Amino acid sequence: MNPADAAPRLAADHFDGSSGRAHPVQAWLHAGRLHWAGPEQPARDVPVRSAVWPERQRHGQRQVQLPDGGLLVFADAAAFDAWAAAGGVRAGGVVRWQQSWRLTLLAFALFVASLGVLWRWGIPAAARIAVAAMPAAVQVRIGERTLEYADRSWLKPSQLNSDEQAQVTQRFAAAVSAAQARSGPQPAYRIVFREGGKMGPNAFALPDGTLVVTDALVTLLRDEPQAVVGVLAHELGHVQHQHGLRQAAQAGAVGVVAGLVVGDFSYLLATAPALLVQMDYSREFERQADAHARDLMRAARIDPRVMLVFFDRVEQQARKDAGQQLPSVFSTHPANRERIEFFSER
Amino acid sequence: MDHTTTPVSARHADATTLNPPTDPRDLPIEFTGSGSEYFRIWIVNLLLIVVTVGLYLPFAKARRIRYFYANTLIDGQALAFHGNPWKMFRGFVLLVVLMGVYGIAGRFSPAVGLVSFIALCVVWPALWRASLQFRTANTSWRGLRMGFDGSLAGAYRAVAPLYLPLIAFIGLALYAPQPGAAGSEHGIASAETFGFAIVAAMGAVALALPWFIALTKRYQHSGLRCANQHARIDLPTWRVYGLCVKTLLMGALPTVLLIGLATGLAMVSGWRGQGSKAAPLLLTLLPLLLTYFTWFVVVGPYAVARLQNLVWSGTRSDAVVFSSRLPFRSLMWLTLKNWTLTIFTLGLYRPFAAVHTARLRLQAVALTLTGDVAQWTAYASPGMQDATGDMAGDFFGIDMGL
Repeated sequence: MNPADAAPRLAADHFDGSSGRAHPVQAWLHAGRLHWAGPEQPARDVPVRSAVWPERQRHGQRQVQLPDGGLLVFADAAAFDAWAAAGGVRAGGVVRWQQSWRLTLLAFALFVASLGVLWRWGIPAAARIAVAAMPAAVQVRIGERTLEYADRSWLKPSQLNSDEQAQVTQRFAAAVSAAQARSGPQPAYRIVFREGGKMGPNAFALPDGTLVVTDALVTLLRDEPQAVVGVLAHELGHVQHQHGLRQAAQAGAVGVVAGLVVGDFSYLLATAPALLVQMDYSREFERQADAHARDLMRAARIDPRVMLVFFDRVEQQARKDAGQQLPSVFSTHPANRERIEFFSER
Repeated sequence: MDHTTTPVSARHADATTLNPPTDPRDLPIEFTGSGSEYFRIWIVNLLLIVVTVGLYLPFAKARRIRYFYANTLIDGQALAFHGNPWKMFRGFVLLVVLMGVYGIAGRFSPAVGLVSFIALCVVWPALWRASLQFRTANTSWRGLRMGFDGSLAGAYRAVAPLYLPLIAFIGLALYAPQPGAAGSEHGIASAETFGFAIVAAMGAVALALPWFIALTKRYQHSGLRCANQHARIDLPTWRVYGLCVKTLLMGALPTVLLIGLATGLAMVSGWRGQGSKAAPLLLTLLPLLLTYFTWFVVVGPYAVARLQNLVWSGTRSDAVVFSSRLPFRSLMWLTLKNWTLTIFTLGLYRPFAAVHTARLRLQAVALTLTGDVAQWTAYASPGMQDATGDMAGDFFGIDMGL
């Protein structure tokens, strides 16, 4: 007896791809070839590998896509799976994974773990590389545009007299050059003064090295001018590590990843992780900037503890304005206690 | 062991081959997908997407479409997806490059950003058409490939109602007075005119939106074909306007009520004297959240259900008449359930939600067939007159839809 006759046969419908007519056939697998024949059709065969085989699932019809555009349709899914396996058609690795709940759970654990890796190392590293590759001219342009925008929107010209501005600038320049002489180069910067309104006593850094200082900060620390140097040194740390642009790049990357996972379901759900991750990243940036500030102050022989005065006064002011702001859960600065301890080490 | 089972053809209406009926008969649509099964496909897809930094995305998409197609049975025969994932990968890379260039361009200067935005607007309808061609050309039923023969000019005509006000809007933005550039009275006056013009342009976009929806749906559906059947669609523009007005009223009513209620409450409780700003914050946040919620759970499903019914009930070909009876309430409850469970499971319910939504929406559609499907013959490609578009669609495997 011909061994091909012993191969198990399975009922199927053959569609030739040029008409909608279903031809009832019997299909069998033999020697790496898929055969089919029916009462209306002569026997035909194609190599098993040339056909597109369906993924093994519990539900759904089984369709084998033939190389000539034809189709073999098997109604009995369970019988098809047994028949194909017996005939030596092997399921791909991915299919084996999704068939087993145990492997699916493993895939889920690996997925969560790889998200964690992306969050902790992948995205920050990618952002650092992307920002480092950014031309300096672009960074300058971004800095200029941001300041222009802030000037139009909420900043007003400074009310401080030019003597006081010059004093702050000179004191910081002296500290920076002292630090440079002792512990190596510092990034280029320029200081601008603005009336910040609701920003209160504050300062921020732009990617091009522009340090914006509010009038309120200078007046708050008039009797403790070295604390202003400390705040500016903190901002210079943000410039040194390119925190502004890295933050923007990270926000974009987290948004893309979240969008991949839940984005087509809900934009709100996709933005929530982006915001949370954002806060986590910026805490780390603040710590880095604090470290830069403390190093600079030590090198310039300024006691880092002058910063405690600044923290104390900002907290007093916050207590005075209590109820006017959201609770400090949303704060992006590390807990004050942690920062106080950090600057208490001489 | 005998694997011989009753052939599909014997169990279904294919006995008609002997005795072709001329009476119209209903072709049932059945969706057999399972949430737990799709969950496993989804999880493995997600892992592979993350591990390959997104490169697996088109392959994941092909596997997802294959699963949904294999479980969509029309008259007992499933749809088949023939898309080659490697071709889809090319289309994916093309789209990523396009979006990447667009995203980066805006950071260099607004002018470069504007140019790339316009370039994107110009190529978008062509990409949209290519994607429709790719998806339909790789879909088959009973071995018969579907196709899309909407023209390129038609794609541009369909988006024109949205593009024209948009161009006006961009033009205005170009001539925008620079605030702060000059504080003169003339500057302030032109800023007012500018603001008015912006509002007018946005109003024009809003007014044109239903027209745009009608045109795009007409373009999508009248280009469909399967074998020798060409679809036609009867979708009067005024009916889309009617639907949009109803949707808008439905969305606006609870919002207005809530804001009224919130202001009323705020005035009664007299928060001004309390010195705390938490109360008004809560009072504005709560209506906002509720509005957001109603839009997604009530208004969105309403628009989706009614638009599906309107569009599919108007679609027919010589032998096939479609009709869709998707009840708004069923879709609303399903959406509410999907949303709640998705949020509480931190997204893990999403594949279940996708399967349930597909089942509800697909099974709401009915097909009535006159004649015999067995007599349908494959659509003969009309020469190579439009090969470039087809080739672009096929070469790049652009697939933008679900």
